[in-house]
Amino acid sequence: MKQKLKAAATGTLKSLRMIAPMLLAIIGLIGLFKIYITPEMLRTLFNGTALHDMLVGVGFGGISVGQPFLSYIIGGELLKEGASFYGVTAFILAFVTLGVVQLPMEFSIFGFRFALVRNLLSLLFSFVLAFFITYCVRIFA
Amino acid sequence: MKKNHSGLVMLGVVALLYLVLGILHPDKTVSALWASLGVLKMIIPILLLVFFLMALLNAYIDEKAISSYIGEESGIKGWFLALFGGILSHGPGYVWYPLLQNLREQGAKDGLIVAFIYARAIKIPWIPLMVTYFGWSFTLFYTFWVVVGAWVQGIVAQRLLRK
Repeated sequence: MKQKLKAAATGTLKSLRMIAPMLLAIIGLIGLFKIYITPEMLRTLFNGTALHDMLVGVGFGGISVGQPFLSYIIGGELLKEGASFYGVTAFILAFVTLGVVQLPMEFSIFGFRFALVRNLLSLLFSFVLAFFITYCVRIFA
Repeated sequence: MKKNHSGLVMLGVVALLYLVLGILHPDKTVSALWASLGVLKMIIPILLLVFFLMALLNAYIDEKAISSYIGEESGIKGWFLALFGGILSHGPGYVWYPLLQNLREQGAKDGLIVAFIYARAIKIPWIPLMVTYFGWSFTLFYTFWVVVGAWVQGIVAQRLLRK
């Protein structure tokens, strides 16, 4: 049993060593995006039209990085500034489910086909779910 | 996990990017570097947990057990585990990728991995903040549709990725 655990620990350390350069690269990119893409930049891009705001929301949600709560705060502010509810919902969904910055890591770990299918589905579902969520909120609220 | 050099290439590209931006906007780039260090500090405990789980998984759980819980024969139990595992998992998604790939290599269904990753859009610790900004009705419908979306995506991905 001890030998089994030792072998497992060695294998795990090997995996860590393998992903370390990519992980550090992604963390470096996240730092750059945090500083160079600001919430003020986002505010100027929403215009209150459902389809336009959904496209902008998914686009910027996909490239934005940070803790999920940031998307709620930015989303709340965008609503106050007149962005459509569809767009803000799409922004929140894309923020937490898509990650353009971490795509290279996803491709390198899972392989091209899996990462492509997963990201395309997440992209599509940011629009679909934004529509369903907003529609339900409007009907039932 | 297959060995490739894309990580080193990517690290080189990012280092070069920092160098160029450091010359153009030194203050902003130093702030970006500090922001990156903050992210690194935040993910270290989660990373340790993930790699500890990986070691335990490799040592004590065999492929037969994985197949029964999240493999081809897992059925509804597998979907339940993937969706709840995704909702309960903490930290950035990319920290979980090595563990998820490890499970795939041991026979976990691709559709369940996709469902797990999407279900992570529900962040239990941040629900009170979501309620404050958008209300209960939005939070409930958001949670419901994300679970449905994760499940449907898992089914579609399973069909598309069938070997």
